[in-house]
Amino acid sequence: MTSFVPLTTVFPGLVWLMAALALLQGLRRAALWRVGAAAPVAWLDGLAKLPKRYLVDVHHVVARDAYASRMHAVVAGGLLAASILTALAILPPLAGFRPYWFVVALAFGVTAIGSLLVGARRYPAKQKRLSAGRFQILPFLLVAYAVGGTITALLLALRIDGLFAPLALALAAAGGLGLAFEVRHGPMRHAAAGALHLVAHPRPGRFEGRPDTALQPLDLDAPRLGSEMPADFTWNRLLSYDACVSCGRCETACPAFAAGQPLNPKKLVQDLVAGLSPAEPAYAGAPYPGGRAAQGERGALARLIGPDARIHPDTLWSCTTCRACVEECPMMIEHVDAVVSLRRHQTLERGALPEKAVGPVTELRQSGDPGGRPLSARTDFAAGIELPVMSERGGAEILLWLGEGAYDLRYGRSLRALIRLLREAQVDFAVLGAEERDTGDLARRLGDEATFQDLARENIATLAQYRFARIVTADPHALHALRNEYPALGGRFTVIHHTAFLLELIRAGKLNPGRLPDLSVTYHDPCYLARYNGETEAPRAVLDAIGVTRSEMTRSGKRAMCCGGGGGAPVSDIPGERRIPDLRMAQAAETGAGIVAVACPSCTAMLEGVTGRQAEIRDIAELLLQAVEAGR
Amino acid sequence: MKIAVLLSAGRHPVSGAAVLPRMEAQAIRLAAGLGEAIGLHAGPDAAAVREALGLGLARIEHVAIPEGGDPVPALIARLAALAPDLVLAGRRGQGGAESGIVPYALADALDLLLIPDVIAVTSGDGAGTLTLDQSLGRGALRRVSLRGPVLATVHPDAPPPLAYAYGRARRGSIDGLGSAPTLTAGPDMAVEERPYRRRPKLVKGAPTGGSAAERLKAATGESGSAAKGRLLVEPDPEEAAREILAYLRQIGVLAASSGASSDASTPTP
Amino acid sequence: MTRLRRDPRAERTAIQVAGAARPRYDRTARRSSSGSGRPRRDPRAERAGQRVVGEARPRFDLSQVIRVEGPVIADTQPRATTAPAPPKILIVEDPAFLVAVVPDAPGGRLSAHDRQVLGAARALAGREGAVALLTLGACEGPGPAGADRWIRLDDGTEAYDPAGRAARIAAALNGLKPRHILFPESLDGGDLARRVAVRMGEPLFTNAEVVAANGLVRPAKGRRVEQRIAPGLLTTVAPDAVADYAGPPREARPVAVETEAASPAKLRILAAARVPADPATVPLALAEFVASAGNGITDLDTFRTLVAALRATPGASRVLCDAGLMPRHTQVGASGTVLAATCYFALGISGAPQHLQGVAGCEHVVAVNTDLHAAMIERAGLAIVQDAQIVMPALLRLLAQETGETP
Repeated sequence: MTSFVPLTTVFPGLVWLMAALALLQGLRRAALWRVGAAAPVAWLDGLAKLPKRYLVDVHHVVARDAYASRMHAVVAGGLLAASILTALAILPPLAGFRPYWFVVALAFGVTAIGSLLVGARRYPAKQKRLSAGRFQILPFLLVAYAVGGTITALLLALRIDGLFAPLALALAAAGGLGLAFEVRHGPMRHAAAGALHLVAHPRPGRFEGRPDTALQPLDLDAPRLGSEMPADFTWNRLLSYDACVSCGRCETACPAFAAGQPLNPKKLVQDLVAGLSPAEPAYAGAPYPGGRAAQGERGALARLIGPDARIHPDTLWSCTTCRACVEECPMMIEHVDAVVSLRRHQTLERGALPEKAVGPVTELRQSGDPGGRPLSARTDFAAGIELPVMSERGGAEILLWLGEGAYDLRYGRSLRALIRLLREAQVDFAVLGAEERDTGDLARRLGDEATFQDLARENIATLAQYRFARIVTADPHALHALRNEYPALGGRFTVIHHTAFLLELIRAGKLNPGRLPDLSVTYHDPCYLARYNGETEAPRAVLDAIGVTRSEMTRSGKRAMCCGGGGGAPVSDIPGERRIPDLRMAQAAETGAGIVAVACPSCTAMLEGVTGRQAEIRDIAELLLQAVEAGR
Repeated sequence: MKIAVLLSAGRHPVSGAAVLPRMEAQAIRLAAGLGEAIGLHAGPDAAAVREALGLGLARIEHVAIPEGGDPVPALIARLAALAPDLVLAGRRGQGGAESGIVPYALADALDLLLIPDVIAVTSGDGAGTLTLDQSLGRGALRRVSLRGPVLATVHPDAPPPLAYAYGRARRGSIDGLGSAPTLTAGPDMAVEERPYRRRPKLVKGAPTGGSAAERLKAATGESGSAAKGRLLVEPDPEEAAREILAYLRQIGVLAASSGASSDASTPTP
Repeated sequence: MTRLRRDPRAERTAIQVAGAARPRYDRTARRSSSGSGRPRRDPRAERAGQRVVGEARPRFDLSQVIRVEGPVIADTQPRATTAPAPPKILIVEDPAFLVAVVPDAPGGRLSAHDRQVLGAARALAGREGAVALLTLGACEGPGPAGADRWIRLDDGTEAYDPAGRAARIAAALNGLKPRHILFPESLDGGDLARRVAVRMGEPLFTNAEVVAANGLVRPAKGRRVEQRIAPGLLTTVAPDAVADYAGPPREARPVAVETEAASPAKLRILAAARVPADPATVPLALAEFVASAGNGITDLDTFRTLVAALRATPGASRVLCDAGLMPRHTQVGASGTVLAATCYFALGISGAPQHLQGVAGCEHVVAVNTDLHAAMIERAGLAIVQDAQIVMPALLRLLAQETGETP
């Protein structure tokens, strides 16, 4: 019976050894994060909130894939429980307590079941969005550790001696040490880095239930603008990229990837990870569409972007900044921030904007409009309808921000509908007219922070001259800039989207729409309204108020697919195999709705531009006006 | 190769904001591929050309002259001292009189060869030689090989300007060279200014001597060769082809085939 | 007193219309009795000539121009000539001053712009002046275009030597001593004008949009203001701003001008060669003639053959570019290239708004489309409602036939 004493020590000792190895591997990796720039992190607050962030916020995302959620709960929970319980068995009272070992065996058993679930996603055939490489070994390591652990624990519980014990222990050791080793470069890195990332997340507001989506202003006096190499990112961003578990949910959600443009958010994050260290194993997931194979230099000081570097500039400019990848990421990684940071360096330091975007950004800088059109022509769409102008009125209850869409012939119709509704409801409103400049959204997404800040300051100064309670705009891009991004530059305004404002008017009884039950409508959520501002309900409530038959697309609300019109993607115009709006209209066609309701000038323009579409594109304001006229 | 790019204080054609004229921005791009380039500006305020730093120039020399003064003597003096191999300028200014005379005055005073309307510059085969592509409009070129030094003016068909990079503008420097003695030459012509009035463009093919009504008729296509909206519904393909070729020849985009001289009666404008 | 005394009373009696109760006068008749040599314009008579007969209310057909005005200068011939006689050539025998025009005259033919400059020169010359055309080498039809005098300098060498050319022209102009000198504000003409201005040390008024004896007007400061000035020595005339000379042909009397021998030019230009635009490769934005394929075209090989045969630049609608059937840089439209072509030939393109934005600047549009209600058919100067797929081979056959006839 003497051989049991060593086993009860050796088995927990194995777990302690695993922990030590994992710590060592983790520290080796963590040393690399130190090259990153400093970042303010509320450590204590983050640590205190870690369980909630993990169990609520992360779980909320993970649970969208029920299988993955169950699998992860079983395998991660089991692994953690079994390992901790075993580690605690180093204490003699527990080690000698047989029922305790039954509990341990149970925990390992659960892990084993979870490991089989993990394996089932990869064998016989791997799911398309998952990465291969080291991830393909993961189920074996898990099974070895779990099965080895189960048997060892059972042997200890049943006090059975024999040759079996060393074999089982060896199996558990192989699996367990393998897992611990993988903390540096392999799949298990996501667990360590992920937990730390939740503590030191660069956007803690995300976990407080508010959309923390505003780009942080760039200090234009900083020695280097934007990110050129891994060392230019802050350390907690480097850490966040290490949290990537290569699950590929982002790649499934990415509109540019779906359109065959050379962007895959997973590969982008993995390139940021790999760029940090030459020792990183080869990427084994789906490549950037277009099949580019350039490797480039690696290292904290190696250039990331370039035709010969790891990331081709076209990859960077394909992004529509729609945040679909961020919304889907179970590890809470901020892909769009990375893209914008890299773009900022390209634009501000190197002047390396895509050729087609140079014109619009130059015009934005020189004339305050990306099309170089006279600012006074912004109100031309309203020829024939009375449009009160702030400079003549000095103030109004509502300031109507027209945005760039006002120059567009098609979108002018939507704005005219909105203005007629405001008149109908006797709203006291006025526009800035020729004093309104572009919000600078386009410049900012394309990395030209200097132009954005100039435009923002000019707009803030203009707005400061007038009295108004709220700003209403039909352009979610303008809304996001005014509401979320101008405060950092000193402009605090209450900004409300026209759909929310129209709903208010309906609820207050100022608009009495009739019902249009004959219309079948599906609503396309603008990214900058739904994902950036979390507003998905007001437009739907307006549609319900006018009694249309409303159906939902497969991807809707905060998980809707982008129209392809954001982030300067239309002006960069990176070639792909398909067009994003075509894909989106195909999704809309699946609902069979005759009308696609929109609430954004970019979406209107992009979806209207789809050739051979069956459905009509109508702004919510246009539909509501029709209902109001029908109700008279 | 030593290159000087002449910079002027321009105005945006729509917004009227102070900008670097587009053709000078294009000149900077042409210079960027060739060698060390500096900017040269003579004017009251160097801030007007700071933008050029962000477009790729590392250094700008600024000669201060009073408002409204003639920049030519100051530029002549500085260019004579610099002795660049290549001087680039926009073919016209932007926002002033837009007469485009300054490069000619400089070339004449400095005895430089002047090649106008250049869209590309490359180093030639021999030492000190350059090859310049001069725009003749509509994509046609004249390729000129020459021995420098040369002053070239840039045509709008040259490659578009590089993007402005804030960081580059921050790094570049503007060196003030003090103020130059200059003639207080006001405008050399007594011009009277008033707001621009857009005038109707001549309509091609309209009878020029006729009355207003005749011209209107021609412009709106009620009669004559400029008839608009000729419509053939479901014609025989051969007939359609004949109609198309005749139309293309009539407007002069397709060379008349000498074989089909029978329909040479169609006038060519 | 050598001059006859006028007797207004007698004149009036002579033109009184007989038979009317109230005294009425036929003022058109006065012309013949006019004793002075100089004809006068009679607006009243012109007006009467425009009157539409048989209407109760007086109505006037303004398109009728009755040129009562006689030849302006030294009209030695009796006015009442038989109508269809060969066009009479106007001669200015002894002009008070000269207005010189230096045209581009590419290939020895006056360009449309050159003719406009001659029209402008005529406006400056008025009755007393004469228009002098100054060309290097031959020039077709200077008289009908409005030149009273023609100074033809030797062609010189073929080599590209703009400075040498400017020197010779400046020397000739110095010999000619015109009151005004006009150039077209074209690539070559504008260059020449500035060189001549610097050589002569005279100010140059560039890009005049209005040319009249009482003033020249040009846009300035990005077309926000216009500048007016009394006509000076040197002026360039903007394209399509001034009408051609439309009167009867003029004499274009050859004149010789003594010029100093041109100073030997320093040969710094080593070589110059024209590279004509290749329609197949010229950037779409610069192309003169664009043939474009849309959704209605399935056989792109035939399309490409046709484009080459027409010597057009290939374009395409967005759908074809998205599908990868045509290269992206050929895309026409708001998100592709905005054209400045003289002619746009749209094959199988219905004309989405974004596409039409790209062809807004095209002077002529030819459209072939099966849909009668397509926007492109509406836009076209020549619209053919037919399947472009069968029109293309027909065009190719016709072109081949034509070239077959000319060996």
